[in-house]
Amino acid sequence: MSLELSHVHKSFDGFQALKDISLSVGPHDFVCLLGPSGCGKTTLLRIIAGLLQADGGEILFSGQDLGQMPPRSRNFGIVFQSYSLFPNMTVRENIGYGLRIRREPPARIAARVDELLQLIRIPDMAERFPWQLSGGQQQRVALARALAVNPRLILLDEPLSALDARVRNEMRHEIREVQRRLKIPTIMVTHDQEEALMLADTIVCMNNGAIEQVGSPWQLYHEPGTRFVADFIGLSNLLSADWTRRHAPEMLAAHPPPADESRWLLCVRPEHIRLAADANGPATVGAVTFLGNLCRMTLRWGDMDLRVEQHAASAYREGDRVRPTIDPAHGCWVTA
Amino acid sequence: MPHSSAAVPASGLRHPRLTGTPEQWLTRVCVAIPTLALILFFGYPLLTIFWQSFVLWDGTLGLDNYAAIPSTPGLVTAGINSLSISLSTTLVCILLGFPIAYALERSRIWLKPWVRLSLLLPLLAPSLVQGLGLLFLLGRNGLLYQWTGIEQNIYGYWGLLISDVFYTLPQAIMIIQAALRNADARYYDAATVMGATPRQQFFDITLPNCKFGLLSAAFVVFTITITDFGNAAVIAGDYRVLATEIFSQVSGQQNFGMGSVVGIILLLPALLSVYIERVASQKQFGGSSENRIPLDPAASRGRDVLLGLVTYATAAAIWAIIAVVVFASFVKLWPYDMTLTLANFKVNIASGYQPIWTSLYVSVAAALIGIVLLFLLAYGVRGLQGRLAQAIYLLSVLPVGVPGLVLGLSYIFTFNDPHYPLHWLYGSALLIALCNFYHYHTQGFLTMATGMRMVPQALEEAAACLGGKMRHVMGDAILPVIAPTVLAVFFFLFMRSMVTLSAVIFLVTPQLNVAAVSVMHLNEAGFVSQAAAFSTIIILVVSAAMLMMRTLVYYFRPNLSSGTS
Repeated sequence: MSLELSHVHKSFDGFQALKDISLSVGPHDFVCLLGPSGCGKTTLLRIIAGLLQADGGEILFSGQDLGQMPPRSRNFGIVFQSYSLFPNMTVRENIGYGLRIRREPPARIAARVDELLQLIRIPDMAERFPWQLSGGQQQRVALARALAVNPRLILLDEPLSALDARVRNEMRHEIREVQRRLKIPTIMVTHDQEEALMLADTIVCMNNGAIEQVGSPWQLYHEPGTRFVADFIGLSNLLSADWTRRHAPEMLAAHPPPADESRWLLCVRPEHIRLAADANGPATVGAVTFLGNLCRMTLRWGDMDLRVEQHAASAYREGDRVRPTIDPAHGCWVTA
Repeated sequence: MPHSSAAVPASGLRHPRLTGTPEQWLTRVCVAIPTLALILFFGYPLLTIFWQSFVLWDGTLGLDNYAAIPSTPGLVTAGINSLSISLSTTLVCILLGFPIAYALERSRIWLKPWVRLSLLLPLLAPSLVQGLGLLFLLGRNGLLYQWTGIEQNIYGYWGLLISDVFYTLPQAIMIIQAALRNADARYYDAATVMGATPRQQFFDITLPNCKFGLLSAAFVVFTITITDFGNAAVIAGDYRVLATEIFSQVSGQQNFGMGSVVGIILLLPALLSVYIERVASQKQFGGSSENRIPLDPAASRGRDVLLGLVTYATAAAIWAIIAVVVFASFVKLWPYDMTLTLANFKVNIASGYQPIWTSLYVSVAAALIGIVLLFLLAYGVRGLQGRLAQAIYLLSVLPVGVPGLVLGLSYIFTFNDPHYPLHWLYGSALLIALCNFYHYHTQGFLTMATGMRMVPQALEEAAACLGGKMRHVMGDAILPVIAPTVLAVFFFLFMRSMVTLSAVIFLVTPQLNVAAVSVMHLNEAGFVSQAAAFSTIIILVVSAAMLMMRTLVYYFRPNLSSGTS
């Protein structure tokens, strides 16, 4: 039960929405397609669902070619941002719809719906209509509706982005838990890096219709491959080899620069720069932002402004002279 | 209305605290003037018709008028006929309107702009033009007989049905279109992935979700048909219906009590249809979702061919009916001498072109009075809260539930009464203008209120904070944004006034006639070509007004992003 995409591409009126996408999703994987709006992630999801036809390339599911298979034969489940519950049907009818059109006996449908209502923890709302539910409840029902037919693959299209922050966080845990329990391969589209880091086994970071990098959340944060990924996921300082040689030569010893060093930048996360108060230090603290447990500041060091995060206990003030050190255990080279 | 501002404290604002800033006083005056006018020219006449239905011929009160319905000759037959013609028109309009609305919103048929234009045509002419056109096409001297020799009697049930259908169909289509338009593509994407076939999606999602739209369209068509006067007068022949019966009861036999009873009966379906429409607008799917993904109909050749055939045939028929009237107005002696001439435009009835000028005067007056009062009302109501505001709002939207026929009747009862302080208006063109304005008050008010909501509060406050006087706030913040709305309301009232028939039919006199009624009189007198000529002039005037409206509204559209007009 795994999905294999190879060399998939798609254009709209001359605009290349997807360029040569190859990707594989394992049998129990939770994969996040992450990227800014317009990067092609939703187009890719719609192609996998069968709602769009790719211009070329191959999509295999468990070795079976999906290319010409209509969406209704794929047996996938899909959840959209919101507003996709059928407004003319109750919660019970919505969840049971997929089974009803598969001509399951009514008793079986009722039993399955009850089971799913338990799973999403709103057993007493079966007879309500979508407009009588909160946004979070609507999305739970949408998830249950997608799960009702025992789908071979679940597709989530920004399922949480219309919800407010607290409900969104709750729903993230719930989606993750349900997916772990049912072990159904899942692909989620999101533009929210925090969501992707929290939920995914594998993140597919996309930009301009192409895949920038595929990896675990840990890999994408600590070993970004490209400048785009380093910038898009978390905060980063991107240092040229030249600057590093002058100001932090110990980093070059730990991370030897690639051959064509003008095309590479050293990515250093803000929490990996340590500061020590020193009246003769080479750097000056700029603007300081208090974030509760953390303190974020800009640091004028050489001819660059770096971003640094410290525990709030060791607060510095604007104008303080400091001696920074970069932790050589961290940092990696990314393509510029 | 010089005395209306003096009436401000008396009209419901008698609170202990009658203080306020000049701006608050301005708001109160703005609301008071149009509200008072609404009461005088709509609320009170409507109450009068209720009252009148209990007044017996000897001046005493009682229910005898209601009790007399079954024994009044012709009234029961007319009632049954009205019901059956309205029900069949409704049925045909829904069965024909749904596929056309569906074709426009959910298919990829070609020539959609042409179809939309066709659907506007019946709005450009008085309702009786459908009947007139039908006579030219299928009547005793119609084109069909001339070309094929097939003779038939178009007068009666079938003729009335066809002309009512073509008159009401565009409105049914627009309501159903609105119900179909709000769907979100994601409903259908979700259903597709869940395994529903297009057929299942249609019956499980599309149809259930526009049932309120269909219901609303049905009620609107039913109401228009049962209260329509024009087509019945032209083509119904011996097939008596309530609208013509009520007219003869009141105008011919001076039977006011019976007239008002029938008027009140006709009020019921109309009020019901307004109620249904309000419910429908709330229950339609995804009505208010802001980040809606519009539907992009998938390619389907079979569907498009089928829907296209129905749609094009209907649009072509609408064109044919209007076109034949315009054509007939240029023909020497229909149908014997088809050479083209302008002779029909030399109208030889006594008043000549006077009705056209009266119509123009009435329509401009209705539109001018309308935009001033509606602007004040929409501006003032915005600053009001509480029960008083709700009551004023309700009164402002109520006129849409009152058929023109009933409004016209109520005007006779009210203004024909020598004791009514405004009796002096009776028989004046101004009263016709006011009647037309209040007939279409609701649509004008809702448009104006929507336009007023588009004025950014921040812009207004910024102008006020910068020390702007009221006239600066008005000129710099409000007017530039609302100008297109005011224009649209002006032309809407003008166009409706030019073509409406059912209300004014009771207010015209031999000395004071309007164009739409003249068409009817000319047709009755057998001057069919001149009736066609009059219709053509009305159609031209209204088309020109519509063209002007589109141009001006486009020209004055607010450019909020750059802050200039």
